[in-house]
Amino acid sequence: MVADSGTAGTARRAGRLNAPRPVHVEPELDGAPRRVNRRGVALVREEWRVVDRWWTEEPVHRRYFDVVLEGGENAVVYRDEEAGGWFSQRGV
Amino acid sequence: MVACILIPGFELRAALRARPSLALRPAALAPAEGEEPLLGPVTAAAEAKGVKPGMRMGEALATCPELVLVDQDPSAAEQAWEEILRRLEDCGIAVESGDLGCVYFETRGVERLYGGVEAALRRALAAVGSAWDPRAGAAGRRFAALAAANVARPGQVLIVADERTREFLAPLPLALLPLAEQRRRELEELGVRKVGELAGLPGGAVAERLGPDGRRAWSLARGRDRGRVRGRRAPAEIVETLEFPEAVGNELTLRRALAVLVERLLGRSERGERFLRKVALSATLVGGGSWRRQLTLREPFAEAGRLRTALGPKLAELPAPVLKLKLEALELTESGGQQLALVRPEGDELHGMLREGLRQVKASTGEGGVCTVVEVAPWSRIPEQRALLVARDD
Repeated sequence: MVADSGTAGTARRAGRLNAPRPVHVEPELDGAPRRVNRRGVALVREEWRVVDRWWTEEPVHRRYFDVVLEGGENAVVYRDEEAGGWFSQRGV
Repeated sequence: MVACILIPGFELRAALRARPSLALRPAALAPAEGEEPLLGPVTAAAEAKGVKPGMRMGEALATCPELVLVDQDPSAAEQAWEEILRRLEDCGIAVESGDLGCVYFETRGVERLYGGVEAALRRALAAVGSAWDPRAGAAGRRFAALAAANVARPGQVLIVADERTREFLAPLPLALLPLAEQRRRELEELGVRKVGELAGLPGGAVAERLGPDGRRAWSLARGRDRGRVRGRRAPAEIVETLEFPEAVGNELTLRRALAVLVERLLGRSERGERFLRKVALSATLVGGGSWRRQLTLREPFAEAGRLRTALGPKLAELPAPVLKLKLEALELTESGGQQLALVRPEGDELHGMLREGLRQVKASTGEGGVCTVVEVAPWSRIPEQRALLVARDD
């Protein structure tokens, strides 16, 4: 018997883990987030930059912030310095 | 022998009991709300005017403008079917109910009681009642019995001897076989239109071309069918009903009414210490229609909260405001099906339990509901590049 070639096994869908999601951020003058999705930022725990793939057609330049929101929730957001816009990779 | 009693177009006949004058006019069972607009069974008068079951509604109304569409009445159909099954059981027949309008039983248990297979079938037809136009078929195999009942005229008994089964099945149309419409069309395009033509093909080739379903249909076509008939367990008769002074469409009110019904049902003394296995929630709708949902619980229980949680979402499917809400306990069990473990599961047993859990999650959430994390570039500084979520298909 020949297996059905249209089974799910040959067409499995894959998605990225931790795919960035657009988020609305109101920044301070120095660029650090003041409000994330209309929720105030209580504390910026850490800040770092990721600069990668600068040798390709799709360079990555991000400024990350690990923040604690007023409700106590932890979130990681970044600003895409190449294309502009804010994204979330954890929380919110 | 295996016997089959068949009432074609049962749902339409049940719905027409409230409007008997329509039985002689062109009428058809309307599709349920939200379903594809295809007609259900049709009356003989409608068929004479060129309307066929499964036809698109627009096409049917263009073919026969005076066609009357009869709303489905699932609650009345279930009730009428249950009455028929009980009448058969009262004759000493252990029935196995298929779809509405189709019931199987083993004649062995009643042959001596009624003096032969034919007499037993005639008794069964009489128990169903001539108003339903039932027909009976009997054969050595279940599928052949169904085919015989399909061929028989109303009130007729057709018995197929074992050695003639293949010969009897050969000229019958493929529509009798449990095949998907697409597969059937595929076969017809290949010139295979009769059961006998399918039976004449090599089994390996059929399996290769049509898969396991095709192989099964091929086995049935050759009269090889090992399906046994198992008499059903008599249903529990615990029913609670709530009538509203005026039609209710508000989900919150309906949920409260459901909570009352659940409390009352679980408080019934007939239930004793037994657990619920299968329940049905039905409603009489404003305007005369009805609605019904059956639910087999994954594990038997008798907790009001869990029952409310299981049935609550069904209320959102109600197509119209409700005049009466009914909750029935269809099956009860003695045990809750839960056993405390003496030793914590591990190894294969634990994997088996995990697999079963994942299977159930997938069944309720659909394809892609269960995924595996596959690391592809764990060293990457870009978080979304490190791992993929791949849907599991095992």
